[in-house]
Amino acid sequence: MVDFYINLFSSIELIKSYQSSIFIISVLLAGIPIFGFMAVNALVAVYVERKVSAFMQDRLGPMGHGVGLHAGKWGVLQTLADAIKLLTKEDIIPESADKKLFLLAPCIIFIGSFVAFAGFPFNEFLIAADFNLGLFYILAMSSVGVIGIILAGYSSNNKWSLYGSMRSAAQIVSYEIPAALSLLPIVMLSGSLAFKDIVLAQTGSTLGILPNWFIFNNPFMIIAFWLFFIAGVAEVNRTPFDLPEAESELVAGWMTEYSGMRWAFFFLAEYANMFIVAGVATIGFLGGWLSPIPGYFDGSIWGVFWLVSKTSFLIFVMMWFRWTFPRLRTDQLMRMCWKFFLPGSFFVIIGVGLWDLIMR
Amino acid sequence: MSFQKLGMELLLIKLKMGGNKINNQNLNNNTDEEMVLNIGPQHPSTHGVLRLKTITDGEIIKKITPYIGYLHRCFEKHCENLTYEQAIPFIDRCDYIGSMNNDFGYAVAVEKLMDIKVPEKVEYIRVIVAEMNRIASHLLAVGVFGLDVGAVTPFVYCFRDRERILDLFEMLCGARLLYNYIWVGGVSHDFPIGWVEKTYDFLDYFEPKIIETNDLLTYNKIFIERTADVGVIPPEVAISYGVTGPNLRGSGVKWDLRKNDTYSIYDKFDFDIPVGTGAMGTIGDCWDRYYVRIRELEESLKIIRQALDQMPRDGDVYESMPKKIRPKAGHIYSRTESPRGDLGFYIESDGSATPSRLKLRSPAFTALSCMDEISKGWMLADMLTILGSLDIVLGEIDR
Amino acid sequence: MNYFTAIFQTISTLITGMSVTFKHMLKIRKGNVTLQYPVERWPRPERDIGFSSDSYNVIRSRLTVDMDDCIGCLKCERACPVDCIKIETHKVEKGEDIVEANHTGMTSNGTTKRLLLTRFDIDMSECCYCNLCTYPCPEECIFMVGGPNSTRHEIDYEFSEYDRNDMIYRFSKVPPDILQSYAEKK
Repeated sequence: MVDFYINLFSSIELIKSYQSSIFIISVLLAGIPIFGFMAVNALVAVYVERKVSAFMQDRLGPMGHGVGLHAGKWGVLQTLADAIKLLTKEDIIPESADKKLFLLAPCIIFIGSFVAFAGFPFNEFLIAADFNLGLFYILAMSSVGVIGIILAGYSSNNKWSLYGSMRSAAQIVSYEIPAALSLLPIVMLSGSLAFKDIVLAQTGSTLGILPNWFIFNNPFMIIAFWLFFIAGVAEVNRTPFDLPEAESELVAGWMTEYSGMRWAFFFLAEYANMFIVAGVATIGFLGGWLSPIPGYFDGSIWGVFWLVSKTSFLIFVMMWFRWTFPRLRTDQLMRMCWKFFLPGSFFVIIGVGLWDLIMR
Repeated sequence: MSFQKLGMELLLIKLKMGGNKINNQNLNNNTDEEMVLNIGPQHPSTHGVLRLKTITDGEIIKKITPYIGYLHRCFEKHCENLTYEQAIPFIDRCDYIGSMNNDFGYAVAVEKLMDIKVPEKVEYIRVIVAEMNRIASHLLAVGVFGLDVGAVTPFVYCFRDRERILDLFEMLCGARLLYNYIWVGGVSHDFPIGWVEKTYDFLDYFEPKIIETNDLLTYNKIFIERTADVGVIPPEVAISYGVTGPNLRGSGVKWDLRKNDTYSIYDKFDFDIPVGTGAMGTIGDCWDRYYVRIRELEESLKIIRQALDQMPRDGDVYESMPKKIRPKAGHIYSRTESPRGDLGFYIESDGSATPSRLKLRSPAFTALSCMDEISKGWMLADMLTILGSLDIVLGEIDR
Repeated sequence: MNYFTAIFQTISTLITGMSVTFKHMLKIRKGNVTLQYPVERWPRPERDIGFSSDSYNVIRSRLTVDMDDCIGCLKCERACPVDCIKIETHKVEKGEDIVEANHTGMTSNGTTKRLLLTRFDIDMSECCYCNLCTYPCPEECIFMVGGPNSTRHEIDYEFSEYDRNDMIYRFSKVPPDILQSYAEKK
């Protein structure tokens, strides 16, 4: 997108000479919709999470009924009310906290997610920053958030926060490895790290009905998909891996001392990370912006629709996990990563390679 | 015993309870590796207001000291000024989750003291409501245990089923949680018209729900990993601390007051005593205690069904109710099986209308006391699992 | 071998658990247990999950005293475990109506009254809703609203007040100036 805007503005004779300001304007024009999308994603995701959790528990969730300023017809205004409440809350900074780091931590976490979003494609054309190593870039940038978490836990000057942030850092860093390794089969099958090529390698269909997505390519790819997905859930700190922010054990873990809009930043970053993990899984395994019925409903706008709906389905599966399972203890989590997921991802790489070699 | 000796005894008790200054200074002197963590009175996961002072070295627990007394209401002293009928609402409020069982224990104790024999219909009514309250209490224990471990949904399901029981109780005596229903010599009301049919409906509704809870929580691998082999209470330790109820049965000891020291008409029913067998880990771990509670739900359903079938439909519940409760001078200790264990009442009467001493032996108190011993060497997350599996109610501990 | 059985067990039990919650999610229309409070009140309008209000046996609600029937025997005051009922009486002529004090000489059951109730206060914020005061009353004049002795009407549980003093229910019907004259007589 940035290249597109630069070319667009450079072709206008009047402003052709102001290259630096053209650059700044095109970056802003590409980046602000991303921020808008992140915010809308968080709002919608919070509403959907509350409704999904309520339906799974035989209750109704936020509903609006009757006269007065209620929460809209099906409770749709509830998230808006929450957002307004968070904006108007008092900003409490504990006296003995390290003030600079305390203020810096939400910024770093937000920057990590935002920067990862910048390389995320919604379509063949709609990418804010089009690299030819898109996949690698997103994986790298989603690790920036760990620094923010550690800073948040340390600067709160609170035993509980410290505990939570240390656990969270260990967890995220460990689960990066199976996540990255499970994405290697995609690179093997498509031959490139760029998103465009990955999705291009999944066009067409076998036998006319089954789309050519990577997940159907190879029985090992199904295992790779689940490994990546679960490792991704662990990276985002969702149940069953949410011991760092476990409500019943550490009050709120490393986020305990944050209130109001700062807490909202953490929340926003969590939902943005969820979207990124689900999005990368969609693009890599489920065909990205291709339609499930090959040949029909293809096109640019349909592409955005398919991508967002497949990602939303995966986000729903993440929420489904959260409201069904208890949480794992830290050492069990680590054990699962190093003893089960890591060998599993090696096994998948070897399996995909062998299958491909034999079948071709 | 001289006063000095008495003083020394009190000082030793204070030191052991951890409330003395000397002891605190000792703790402050700890090495750099030890951290004192306060799981304070306000916490989402302690079952009431309980303070647990934990000494850990970062993750592994070295020692836990429970501090109780935040919910103390001087119940036992207050009962010395109340008549025997007036004490019943207060006894309800001790173990507020299983309050029918509290009243049952008290009524059995006073009736033994006064040698009253209640009619058969009253016995059946009492057993039915006590067992239904046992189901409600175990549902709460199971749900809250799931919540402690992180699974939110079984908690909501258990509460939804518990609401059905509370609705039945509301139809019966008007109150949902603190009933004032079982009186000395009888019960306060007979069953209303249609209550027995609604109870049968409830029993049919509830049986598949146990299977659902088993699918969702009991056999879930994550849950098993969290609770198996954690917080093992060896049977000798359990007996020496005086732990009773599902906690004791989870350690493999087959002891239930409804069979071993029968009171009321429990000998007329055919039911099992579930015992922990270490199916998923060691005998006496958290999973065993949890599973004993789930199995007790099924056994209580059996008892209620048999009682409803066998109950005489006509009879007067007010027959043996004494006009004035004025027992002769004497004392008695009687015990019944409450959902938490062995609930004992010691009543001393001096011939007047108010008891001169009423003491309640609380089963959750002994369960909490063994917590230090069984949680040494486990992690912080496990400590809350162990606390949840002991199923304590602070109202009963503090009275 | 244990390794692989562990993996297999994990996957199978997790899928069983997930199917339970999914079924609940799909059956939300029939299975939901939410009562949307200000709009739907207890008992619920169409779906009857328990019982209807005209088959109540007893109810725990706020207390009401039928002053015309009260003979001032003080049995309810003595029965209360938390001492929230306070009664003061005054001796008057047996069986005579005193119009200015709103006192009738006879109860609706035919008992003659000898005492004038100058004070009958029940502090509902102290009441523990145990219902023990309703049983000893010989004239059945104290009862919880909505119970078997009142005309059956909707359950009344919405009686919270802003000021704590409004929770003291004063049932005595003697007007204040007449009260003054009785106090002086003492």
